[in-house]
Amino acid sequence: MRELSLNVMDIAQNSISAGASLITITVEEDEDLDELSISIGDNGRGMTPEQVEHVTDPFFTTRTTRSVGLGVPLFKMEAEMTGGRFSIESTLGAGTTTTAVFRPSSVDMIPLGDINGTVSMLVMMNPDLDFLYTRGYRPRGEERREFALDTRELRTVLGEDVPLNLPDVTGWVNDYLSENTSELLTKDTQEGATDI
Amino acid sequence: MTVKEMAGALGWKLLAGEDGQDNEADGCYVGDLLSWVMGRAQAGNVWLTVMGNLNAIAVAALADTSCIVLCEDSALDADAKNRADMQGIPVYGCGPNLYDTAVQVHGLLK
Repeated sequence: MRELSLNVMDIAQNSISAGASLITITVEEDEDLDELSISIGDNGRGMTPEQVEHVTDPFFTTRTTRSVGLGVPLFKMEAEMTGGRFSIESTLGAGTTTTAVFRPSSVDMIPLGDINGTVSMLVMMNPDLDFLYTRGYRPRGEERREFALDTRELRTVLGEDVPLNLPDVTGWVNDYLSENTSELLTKDTQEGATDI
Repeated sequence: MTVKEMAGALGWKLLAGEDGQDNEADGCYVGDLLSWVMGRAQAGNVWLTVMGNLNAIAVAALADTSCIVLCEDSALDADAKNRADMQGIPVYGCGPNLYDTAVQVHGLLK
């Protein structure tokens, strides 16, 4: 995809189709390791070992509307083209976790894109489902830090009767993601350091 | 014009998908980012690329392109060849780059 966030949307749609009630999205960047890891997990119906074995074959699809399914194969290919790796773990009746690890320094790296917009859209379009989005970041030579958006906590605060697709809630989610992402990605600067 | 006629005129080598060589060439699309091609190539297009993997065959099947032309002698993976044969999607190889090949295709289609 032209943005990795679109892959997240695509894989999350698979989770929704699999009947998941909780979808976990984790984006983890480590500058020392030169890795960007994107993981999408769910508690949906899962897959059989045979399905897992074939899930990266674009001509193996459970879709009835067309004969090819390219979401997972492209996600895998995009990770591997950067020198990264891909894995998918699934247990029938328990859920599936898809993980792609990229090397951001690769010339074939695709931009992450608007991941906040993707998460916000998923929450807004699926108000009955829960999402746990975690963004982790370890700048070069610094400690790891993270923030999370957990719609289960949001429901606790707002009350179960407040739908998560209300414009005010969506606005809050957007602001929360934007502010925390900005804070997360701001590198610490040593006091008194000299600019060069 | 069929893709077989076009391949003959431009000296392309058939790599796979012989059964689809009577497909009509209708326009041309150039691109290597598969997800991009998937949403933009039109049915009947001659698709010029350097991506000779299984996913490229799936994109051609999805977009219903008339054929794939692997430019700059880029390789066709073995599993991609098998699937192209099964699907009847012609895959050709040629030496010139994407731009020069597109110009040649344009010359035949105009």
